[in-house]
Amino acid sequence: MPQVTYVDHDGHETRVDVPLGENVMRGALYSGIEGIVGECGGGLSCATCHCYIDEDWIDTTGGPSSDAEAELLEQVATKLRPTSRLSCQIEITPALDGLVVHLPETQF
Amino acid sequence: MPIDAANPVPPSFPRHVGMDQVPAHVPPELIRQSGLTIGPDFLANPHDFMAALHEKQPPIYYDVSPMGNMWHLIKHEDALFGLRHPDIFSNEGATPFPRDPDDYFYFIPIEIDPPHHRKYRNIVDPVFSPQGVLKLEEQIRQRANDLIDAIEAKVAAGETCEFTEDYGRPLPVSVFLDIMGLPQDMRDEFVDWAVQLLHSNDRAIMADSMRKITAYLKQAIEEKKANPDDGVVSRIAHSAPDGVPLSDKEIFGFVCFLFIGGLDTVFATLNNIWLYLAQHPDKLAEIHARPQDIDKIVEELLRRWSVTFSGRVLDKDYEMRGVQMKKGDRVTFILPACNFDPEVFPNPREVDFDRPRKTILAFTVGVHSCMGAHLARLEVKIALQEWLKRIPAFSVKPGTQIEYRPGGVIGPEHLPLVW
Repeated sequence: MPQVTYVDHDGHETRVDVPLGENVMRGALYSGIEGIVGECGGGLSCATCHCYIDEDWIDTTGGPSSDAEAELLEQVATKLRPTSRLSCQIEITPALDGLVVHLPETQF
Repeated sequence: MPIDAANPVPPSFPRHVGMDQVPAHVPPELIRQSGLTIGPDFLANPHDFMAALHEKQPPIYYDVSPMGNMWHLIKHEDALFGLRHPDIFSNEGATPFPRDPDDYFYFIPIEIDPPHHRKYRNIVDPVFSPQGVLKLEEQIRQRANDLIDAIEAKVAAGETCEFTEDYGRPLPVSVFLDIMGLPQDMRDEFVDWAVQLLHSNDRAIMADSMRKITAYLKQAIEEKKANPDDGVVSRIAHSAPDGVPLSDKEIFGFVCFLFIGGLDTVFATLNNIWLYLAQHPDKLAEIHARPQDIDKIVEELLRRWSVTFSGRVLDKDYEMRGVQMKKGDRVTFILPACNFDPEVFPNPREVDFDRPRKTILAFTVGVHSCMGAHLARLEVKIALQEWLKRIPAFSVKPGTQIEYRPGGVIGPEHLPLVW
């Protein structure tokens, strides 16, 4: 099963298994990682699953997957960076095994 | 106070009702009798009434009402903050739905605050996720078309389509039965129970329907325990978060909450939207012309026609906008009003499918965000698409007086349509 490493705002790393077909937001929720809220459940309506993709992985994940994601990223609570993504929109594929994402200080 | 979901006890928060029960800490200048959900101005046009709150009332006021006194919050920003801070604005005891005190249960997960809340949500979230509900798409389309078949037959026989009864009510009930793993032949019975429970305004009828619902659901849970399937009732009955199976009270509270939470809200939303479209052929034409934008269209319709509120209880003293609220005070976030906040949605009563994407409050926010939001969006979308394919234009039957009744879910009582 692919592994994703979540690095919280204080630099604390948690590595968890996330099933194929799930997404990076859910991987955090199922494992009790607090830096992701994901309150709308992946509906592109809340902007509370913001993460920064590690520089080494941004070419693999790519940028926002839709206009709606790009628009909603404008609403995030912390600084928007070129590596910003909504983690609910990143589906886990074999190519993402080992993905590292950094979590913002707050989601709202 | 953390609660034990397996051993529920009725809440003991004080309830204040009427002018002589306004707590001393409420400043007299913030006391209102707004008439929300009950007054003639509200019932004449509920959504216009809630949009106008931004002109007529301060952002936070203390509403005195025969339904119970509470703070009303109408600003989008305040709702986002309050609903995202369950440590301040608690859900425990905030759901006013009456239950038998001798056989009390919690509505799960809405009455459970973090951290316990997440363990329940994890049981059903995969089913109700955007990907999860898509598995139901073809089935929902079929249910919608079956209902339209019946409507067309009815109209061909010279009768009038009563939208609320012919489509708005049965469609979400059918979908609910499918997702829960319950038989479709229960549809009309579920419709009757839902109507009696939620629309009779008669406590004896409500209690009687609650007894029937309870008996049916308890029997269904037992059956699913013995014969597991892939429906949600079975999923809940067999779940064991952290290796601990749910208790009977938890299972029942969870299943019962899904019944109450899912049916009336979609029903009222559909009724509101169809009334609006029946009166606005220009918007109907725009929807026909923009099939690729259906998701945006649904989102804007959900903003404009939100149907319910979020109630909370202060878990500590808290000050907002200079208003001092006290532990134990009840609070209602007027979600439809928040969706009309002109600072967030300029010209808020206008239906504009090209608004920039912002967080809408139709499904509330925070940990208790509606778990059925994606199902509801899909239902509204399919309901619109399938209907418009077959009934592209329609209007309200001439001479109809649109009426609303007091209650916590807002939509027209009757909606006879002609085409």
